[in-house]
Amino acid sequence: MSVVTTPVRQDIGGTGAKTLNRIVIYGLLALFALFYLMPLFVMLVTSFKTMDEIQNGNMLALPRAPTLEPWFKAWGETCVGLTCAGIKGYFWNSIKMVVPAVLISTLLGALNGYVLTKWRFRGHTLVFGLMLFACFIPFQSVLLPMATILGSLGRFGVTLQNATGFSFGLGNPTVNLVFVHVVYGLGFTTLFFRNYYEAFPTELIKAAQVDGASFFQIFRRIMLPNSMPIFVVTVIYQFTNIWNDFLFASAYAGTGDSMPMTVALNNVVNTSTGVVEYNVNMAAAMIAALPTLLVYVVAGRYFVRGLMAGAVKG
Amino acid sequence: MAFLEIDGLKKRFGTVEILKGIDVDLEKGGFLVLVGPSGCGKSTLLNTIAGLETITEGEIRVDGRTINNLHPSKRDIAMVFQSYALYPNMTVAGNIAFGMEMRGVPAAERQKAIDKVAKVLQIGHLLQRKPSQLSGGQRQRVAMGRALVRDPKLFLFDEPLSNLDAKLRVDMRIEIKRLHATTGTTIVYVTHDQIEAMTLATKIAVMRDGEVQQFGTPAEIYNNPTNIFVADFMGSPAMNLVPVTIGGNGSGLSVVLQRDGREPISLPLANPPAGLSAFQGKPVIFGVRPEALTDPEGAERNASNIATADCHIEVIEPAGSDTFAVTNLGGKAVVARLRADAKIQPGTVTPLAFNLTKAVFFDPATENRIL
Repeated sequence: MSVVTTPVRQDIGGTGAKTLNRIVIYGLLALFALFYLMPLFVMLVTSFKTMDEIQNGNMLALPRAPTLEPWFKAWGETCVGLTCAGIKGYFWNSIKMVVPAVLISTLLGALNGYVLTKWRFRGHTLVFGLMLFACFIPFQSVLLPMATILGSLGRFGVTLQNATGFSFGLGNPTVNLVFVHVVYGLGFTTLFFRNYYEAFPTELIKAAQVDGASFFQIFRRIMLPNSMPIFVVTVIYQFTNIWNDFLFASAYAGTGDSMPMTVALNNVVNTSTGVVEYNVNMAAAMIAALPTLLVYVVAGRYFVRGLMAGAVKG
Repeated sequence: MAFLEIDGLKKRFGTVEILKGIDVDLEKGGFLVLVGPSGCGKSTLLNTIAGLETITEGEIRVDGRTINNLHPSKRDIAMVFQSYALYPNMTVAGNIAFGMEMRGVPAAERQKAIDKVAKVLQIGHLLQRKPSQLSGGQRQRVAMGRALVRDPKLFLFDEPLSNLDAKLRVDMRIEIKRLHATTGTTIVYVTHDQIEAMTLATKIAVMRDGEVQQFGTPAEIYNNPTNIFVADFMGSPAMNLVPVTIGGNGSGLSVVLQRDGREPISLPLANPPAGLSAFQGKPVIFGVRPEALTDPEGAERNASNIATADCHIEVIEPAGSDTFAVTNLGGKAVVARLRADAKIQPGTVTPLAFNLTKAVFFDPATENRIL
C-alpha cells in the first residue's frame, strides 16, 4: 500500500513536507522505543547501585559507583523464603525443567507434524483440529484436573518405587512440570511443524521410500535436517513460554527445593526482612530474564526467517 | 511373457475410479511412455507400479514376479521424480548413495558405484556439492544417477523434463534416449508431451480418464489412431479433423468437403476402408495430418491416392523448416504443411494436394475409427 501512496504524497507536498514526515515518523518511533526500554533501563541501573544511592538518588540516574555486589548477592546469598542461599539453585531447577520440556515437546511436535502431513490416515484433520484445541484452552481450567492426574502419577510412582526400587521420576515436581509443559506445548509445536511440513515436498518422502528408508529413517535423515528454521522457531517459542511460566510452576512446584526460577524470584521479592533490597531484586530479575534474552540473540534471526518460511517459496 | 505386465489394474479413491482397468505390457529393454492430458491417471498408474499407491484390483508383474503388495524398496525399481526430489541436506554423492546406505551396502562399495555412475553421467565434479548449488540440468542428471546406481529391473520416470527450459529439455531427451540405448534398461515414462512420447517410446499408451485409449508403437499411434482423442492428442500441429459427408458416384466413394460460399470439394477415394461404405451419404469426421496436405509439388511421389483441390489460403505461418498454411474447410481451420520455400500468398486460392492414403475416418457418434 505504501508503495502506491508514497509517490502521490511526494507530488503534492514536495521536499519540505517529506522531511517533516520523516521527522514525525522517526520521532514517534524513537519515543516509543524509549518508552519500551525505560523499565529495562531502570532495572539495569538499579541493579548496579548501592542501597544508599537508591534511597537517596534519582531512579533514572546512572550509578555513581557501579557495583556488582547486588548481582553476587542475588546469585548466592539472598533469601528465598526461609533459605538464604541465593537464586542459583532455582536457576538450575529451571534449566533442568526447561531443557527436557522444550526438547521433548519440539521433537514430538515434529513427529506429529510429519505424520499429519506425510502419513495421512482417515480422520487426520479431526485429530489435528483436536490438537489445535489445546492452543485455546486457558491454563487456569486445567490446573485442578492436572493436579489430580499428577497426584495419581505420584501414587503410581510410589507403587513403582516399592515394586522395583525405582520411581522412574514419577512424583518428582520437576518431572511433573516437564510433563505438564510437554502436554500443554504439544498443540503449538504440532501446529508449527504441521504447517511447515505441509509445504515440504512429498516427492522427497516418496523418493526416500523407493530408496528403502523406514518411517523413522525418513524422519531423522530427511525431515529433521531440513526443518532448521521451524525447529528454531519452536524452540524459542517453547523456551520462552516454559521458562517464563509462573502459574504451573507455582501450582505444582511452588514450595521446596525444586521450585523454578519464576517462583523463586517471586519469593525473593516477597521476602520481607527489614529493608527491601531493590538492587538485589532487580539483579535477580535480570538473571531470570537472561536465558530468554540469550536464546533470542543467538537464534533470533532464524526466528524471523522461520516465521516467514513457506509464505514465499525461496 | 512380457517383462512388465499390468492386468486389469483398477484404482479407486472412495467411490471415484481413477484407473478403470489398465492392461499394458512391455518387453524387456522396452521404453513405455504413458501419455495423456493432466488428470488422466498416468502418474497414478506410475505410482502404483512404484508401490507408492495401493491398487484396488488387478495385478502388476515384473519379470514374472507379482509385486502388488511389495514395499517400494523391495520392487527392484528406481524412480526419477518431476521435481527431482533430491535430498537438500545431502551432497550429490550422499543423494546417489542414500539407497545403498539404507540397504546396508559397505562404504567402499558405495564409493565404487558412485564413481561409476558419475562417470556415465559426467557429474564427477559435482559430487561434493549440495543440490541447491546445481543448475536444473545438473539436478536432472543427479536424479538419474540416483536411479541408475541401483541397477534396477525397472526405471520409472515421472515427467522428468517438465521443469527444464525448452533447449535443455531437448538435450536431456536425447540423453535419456542414449542412456536407454547404451544400458538397455526397461523404462516406464510418464509425460504429457506427445513429442517426448513419440521420440522416446518403443510403446506408447495414450490415456484419458483412467483408461488406455490406445496402446501401440509410436508409428501405430501416429498413423492409425483408434479414435478422435488419440488422433487429436498425438502430433504437432494436430491432425486436421474436418466434418465431411461421404459421397458415392457408382464406381467408388468420395469425401465431400463443404466450403463457405462455393461449391463443395469432392475428393475421390481409391482404397476407402471397408467400413466406410455404410456411411455413404452420412457425415463422418475426416482426419488428415498437416504433412498429408501440402502443395502439389511437395506431395509424396509414390502415394497411390492423391487428390488436388483449390483452397482459399487465409493465413501463412513460416516456421523456418516448413511453412504452414491455414485454410477453411468444412467450417474448420485446416492446417497444411508446405515446403519452406513454397510460393504462396495469404488471401489467394492455391491448389493443395490431399494424400488420401494417409487419411483416416471417424464415426462422429462413437468417435471411433472407421476401418
